[in-house]
Amino acid sequence: MKINCTIDNKSISLTVNSNKPLNLILMEDVEAPNMDARCRDGFCGNCVVLLNDEAVLSCLIPAFKLKGARVLTFDGFKRTRFWHDLERAYEDTGSHPCPHCYASKTLIFEALLQTIVKSDEGPSRDEEPSEETIVEEIALNRCPCLDAHEMIDIFKAAATYRRRRRVRRY
Amino acid sequence: MYEGIRSPAVHLPKTMSDLVSVATRFPNATFWAGGTFLMSRHDYYPTRDSNDIISLSEVPDLGRINRTDRYLEIGSMVTFEDMLKVGKQVLPGLLQETLERTATRIVRRHITMGGALCTEGIRLALPGTLVSLQAEVEVKTCLGPKTETKWLDLHRLYDKLGVLQLKKNELITRIRLGFERENFSYFITAGNPMLNPQETVFLSFACSYNQSVIQKFSMCLTFPTSLILVPKEIDMMMQGTLLPLTSQQISRVVRNVMEEILSASPQEYPPMQIERARGFVESAMHELNAQSLSER
Repeated sequence: MKINCTIDNKSISLTVNSNKPLNLILMEDVEAPNMDARCRDGFCGNCVVLLNDEAVLSCLIPAFKLKGARVLTFDGFKRTRFWHDLERAYEDTGSHPCPHCYASKTLIFEALLQTIVKSDEGPSRDEEPSEETIVEEIALNRCPCLDAHEMIDIFKAAATYRRRRRVRRY
Repeated sequence: MYEGIRSPAVHLPKTMSDLVSVATRFPNATFWAGGTFLMSRHDYYPTRDSNDIISLSEVPDLGRINRTDRYLEIGSMVTFEDMLKVGKQVLPGLLQETLERTATRIVRRHITMGGALCTEGIRLALPGTLVSLQAEVEVKTCLGPKTETKWLDLHRLYDKLGVLQLKKNELITRIRLGFERENFSYFITAGNPMLNPQETVFLSFACSYNQSVIQKFSMCLTFPTSLILVPKEIDMMMQGTLLPLTSQQISRVVRNVMEEILSASPQEYPPMQIERARGFVESAMHELNAQSLSER
């Protein structure tokens, strides 16, 4: 099956099996360096990517869902300005995910940060995530390297930077 | 590595009649809802016997939530996250809690209502909750140019051991819930059905009472791989009972449920599941008592 999509801001045309999972496409066909997950059951949480700006487990997305989609892996995300909000939040709080889950947890944080931006845009949009939601979402990645307080602190610090960025933009 | 592996054809019907026609032409094709369950199977990819895929995501009728005077009708392709956005006024508390406690938001965006009812080999918490809420499902049978549509009580979709009774050419298109609200609902779960199905138990319980007299008592106990228990006799027995329940009445309910579990299957259930089920039923009865006493 031929699929045209955008991966890390590059337009790519792939010929892959229609049911091949996105994580395998990224590892084998695109050779994304930070994609090391192969739990094969969607429960390690190490294969998170942003698909059309929403965090997804790439092992649960088949190739045929990628037609015209925008995929952003951690490597692509590191080249955006939004990465610096999280990088600075890690530095400020002194807590950061371990190397094994760094990419995945960072992208989950980013997906949560995007809901704030949306909530600032108008009352009908998503609300800012509660502390419970932050912990629940990050726990999608089963690595226990961060405790709940650290997750919340990182998110709050990053959210502060993200809001400032938004103010400066206007 | 993947030599000889066929790429399945993907059909993307845009209307209900397209769907019926594709399903008739390709009777062995797999209906694809959210894909979260199918893709989490260990043998999903690569495999040599992959069937064609009929993706249901582009049929608009399946993605609608419709509210009538009497019912809430939910399309089978509505995701859990979309359901949670419907709001507390419309969604029964029991259903809301069940959806919230299934996976995380990132995964819930992909799990569909119909998909969660039709998982092969594993029952999630949703069927039990919908059974407790006495939901109905619309089943469409694709028979050549004709289709047959019927509404079924949801509990008739499974046998006692939780095995799905849908045929290959049948498809769930809508789920219907009444607007009658129970005074008391209780959902409790332990374990992860995908990681430890042999240890996981779900209990969904809904009860209506008026002036401390039980009018409706609806319980469903689920073991993901081996049981969907709807103890109808206990439901009948409890109707007309005065709240709060005495400790003898609670013991009797627990004993009857345990007897039904043990007689449901010729094989033995793991002791962990049995113990959890006992604890859940007992705690549901105590919670019911606590609520009824607090309203006095």
